[in-house]
Amino acid sequence: MELFINLAINGIAMGMLIFLIASGLTLIFGLMSVLNFAHGGLFAWGAYSGVFFYVLLDNFWLGLLGAIVTGLLLGWLTELLIVRPVYGNHIRQILITLGFMLVLTEMLKVVFGPNIINAPTPEMFQGSWMIGDITIIKYRAFIIAVGLILFIVMYSVLKYSKIGLIVRAGVMNKDMIQALGVNIKLVFVLVFMVGSALAALGGALFAPSSGAIYAEMGLEFGIFAFIVVIIGGMGSIPGSLLAALLVGLANTFTAYYMPILSMVVTMIIMLIVLIFRPQGLFNISGVSNK
Amino acid sequence: MMKRLQTSTWVYLLIAFVLMLLPFVKDDRWFLFLMIQIFVFAIFAMSYDLLLGYTGIVSFGHAMFFGIGAYSVAVTMSRLDSTFSSFLLGVVVAVIISGIVAFLAGVLTLKLKSHYYAMLTLALAGMFLYIAERWRSVTGGNDGFTFRIPELPGVLQDHRNVVIYLFTLLSMVLLFFGMKRLTESPLGRVLVGIRENDQRVESLGFRIMPYKVLISVVSGVIAALAGVLYAVSLRFVNTQVFDIEVTLDALLMTIIGGVGTLVGPILGSAIMNLSHHFLSDLASVHWIFQRWVILFGIIFILVVIFFPNGIVGTIQKKMHERKMKQRVKQVEKQSAKN
Repeated sequence: MELFINLAINGIAMGMLIFLIASGLTLIFGLMSVLNFAHGGLFAWGAYSGVFFYVLLDNFWLGLLGAIVTGLLLGWLTELLIVRPVYGNHIRQILITLGFMLVLTEMLKVVFGPNIINAPTPEMFQGSWMIGDITIIKYRAFIIAVGLILFIVMYSVLKYSKIGLIVRAGVMNKDMIQALGVNIKLVFVLVFMVGSALAALGGALFAPSSGAIYAEMGLEFGIFAFIVVIIGGMGSIPGSLLAALLVGLANTFTAYYMPILSMVVTMIIMLIVLIFRPQGLFNISGVSNK
Repeated sequence: MMKRLQTSTWVYLLIAFVLMLLPFVKDDRWFLFLMIQIFVFAIFAMSYDLLLGYTGIVSFGHAMFFGIGAYSVAVTMSRLDSTFSSFLLGVVVAVIISGIVAFLAGVLTLKLKSHYYAMLTLALAGMFLYIAERWRSVTGGNDGFTFRIPELPGVLQDHRNVVIYLFTLLSMVLLFFGMKRLTESPLGRVLVGIRENDQRVESLGFRIMPYKVLISVVSGVIAALAGVLYAVSLRFVNTQVFDIEVTLDALLMTIIGGVGTLVGPILGSAIMNLSHHFLSDLASVHWIFQRWVILFGIIFILVVIFFPNGIVGTIQKKMHERKMKQRVKQVEKQSAKN
């Protein structure tokens, strides 16, 4: 039973990390109908810049802030240079963002060097709590808390505030919103920047939990995020959370009991979802998958 | 129209003939190796062009077909004996497995938006790479394994590369004309129609799905054949054949050379392989050449924004426009006379 709970906590923590990347992806896709294949690259940039600022300034929170600012800046650049010329053309969007992904990954190697970099865990989150036989690693508990807070904030902002209303209406009818006096272009840039910052924050939080970061992790976790978005339903924030937790838990349990299946199990979940419910577990209205 | 087609066919045949004579003029091992790589990747990129250029399907997992082909022939030839019959058996196995995988991937996702196919193929290819890495008893993991290819009676050991060169060249030429024929057939026209406006094609009475699945299978099988040739030319195979970089190579070659042209991918393959070869040599001059992927990534992005037709596509478009202008002038002249 203790083992079960321990594994479950690890799985939830992993799921929360995946949720952070996937939520940015699904936000950008669900609200703006742009599929950003460079998203994993932003995640890797977040991890590197987070570690860089943490080591430089010797403050974990400033490291996270540095990662968020990096994410915002890169998101702004991506929207301006890469995505804006190809709005509305899905195939060219996929191609161009993938090209940008290559550039981002290689630029990481140019700026920070091609070697694996160690990522330290902040002192306040080192060690673990023991409750009976259950070990809770402090850093994992921290990740779960951050993930839950971000989920609640994102969900309520989109659901109840005017911003969420404007963005959702803007996707349905861009011209109408523009005519009503809203600068929808600016709103789209902001959405893109926030989505990118979420990926970067996910990267910065991921770095200490894995202990080492490398340039190719962007692509690896990018694939995870895509799978989660497919399972959860494109554009749905609760769907992403549920799917991310499902994938995280399935991964941790199979990694313990049947290590050989740990990667394949994610694919199997995705295949089952694609066969029986191709629109994903949740699917917000207005986003079609056909 | 008929006459123009024939001239282009003659030009292609002439180029193929010159390429056929090359190894007898310049019998350098590295040169032959480079040319073989160009031919193999040209086949691979052309199969990719069938999807991307002619039907408008983006696949990010094309490497899995390449890897299936390479491993099918390598495993059969190392497990059985290195004769032609086991080579043929390897080819048959490659065709069957890649066909089934392409069929399943197509049936599951091609009725959805383009993203789903791209993502599913990306994930599937990742799974194949993972399985290949783990299943070391068969694949040899990242270290891979070497195998022997059949001895040819009457051919010296030194001339084996020339035979492989001619074999890959012949395969490329045959597959090129086969695919050209396919894309110019009524079937190919329907595919282009699906790329341009699938709802229109549907309303004309065509069912889209069988066409998409069919081209997905054809493309997968040809990619597997490229993998077969790759393994045979190296006499070695490792799990790198499943790597995402293999897919990215095909993508870059097709986009830079020109989507939907078939000649473009061949040109793209030549450009990519040659520049990979020479830029790696330049790495000692300046470090940026070691990171040559950056240069290609930037070129790729610029091509997608400014020249979505690629090199060959842009030239063809320019030539077409000039021809139309001349025709307009002729018509104007005639009407002025009248």
